[in-house]
Amino acid sequence: MTYVKWILILLFWGTIGAVLHYTLPQYDIVRVVNTEVRRVDFGENSLFWAQQDAGQEGAVSQNRDVRFVEAFRGNGRTIVYRNEDTGWGWPPYFKLDSSNLQAEFRDLISTKENPQWVAIRHYGWRNEFMSIFPNAVSVKPVDSVDHRVINWFNIVFLTLLAALFWAVWVRWRRFRAAKIDPVMEDVSDSLDAAGDAISERRGRFSKWLDSWRG
Amino acid sequence: MMPPIRLMFMLLIVQAIAYVVLSLYSRSVRKGKLEAAWEEEQLTGDRDAFIQKGLKDYDGSIRRKLILAVFIVPQLAIGVLIYVTNFM
Repeated sequence: MTYVKWILILLFWGTIGAVLHYTLPQYDIVRVVNTEVRRVDFGENSLFWAQQDAGQEGAVSQNRDVRFVEAFRGNGRTIVYRNEDTGWGWPPYFKLDSSNLQAEFRDLISTKENPQWVAIRHYGWRNEFMSIFPNAVSVKPVDSVDHRVINWFNIVFLTLLAALFWAVWVRWRRFRAAKIDPVMEDVSDSLDAAGDAISERRGRFSKWLDSWRG
Repeated sequence: MMPPIRLMFMLLIVQAIAYVVLSLYSRSVRKGKLEAAWEEEQLTGDRDAFIQKGLKDYDGSIRRKLILAVFIVPQLAIGVLIYVTNFM
């Protein structure tokens, strides 16, 4: 039972952690080498794609054109971003300016010999097995590849979230101690009493039996 | 322009529920505090009247009106997010 309990607890917190890791913004320092638009046919990975540009969300189609940004990290590894509106849906970035952002990306394209490093704010994961890409939210040119961006949003958000969890948790504990525990104690007390009564009767019965054995 | 309207509508429903729950919770906390104050200061007289008066004071207080922020803060946050993400 304890194993089942721990597995459930791990699954619960693992899911919350994964959702937060996917949804919260992160920064990459990269060099942009190309931008492009290509058609994507969504399959099992459709969960990991956002939606049509704002204003045309109602379009019903299984595929559409998606803007992509190809880039290299400081260590020479490739990373490809998608550039999609999140519009009014999930995750709540309210990103409506994908076309403008694509123009900014094109403006920041640079070569290996003369690199222009940029800080890309993005959410999401790159996974080759599922063909999913992080969604770029904004881009800023930075001086060097060693530039570090302090993620103020995540610091504030995670602190507030922890405070909220703690506040709910404390109130739940207080509520349980005041309202549920006494009832449970009552139940277990009366169960104990019933158990005692049975064992006492059993004792008397066996004594009576013993009296016949001599 | 349907999606933003739908979003606001859903948000309003959630906010209304949060407002009612928070109001009830906050009032019960205040009631508990009034009862504790009665015990602690060992006041004499009409206990119910004391608590009723305290709750009436609470009903007119700024503290209670602050719960209305439930309807303002998310909308404000969305406005700031839209500006920061798209126009800054």
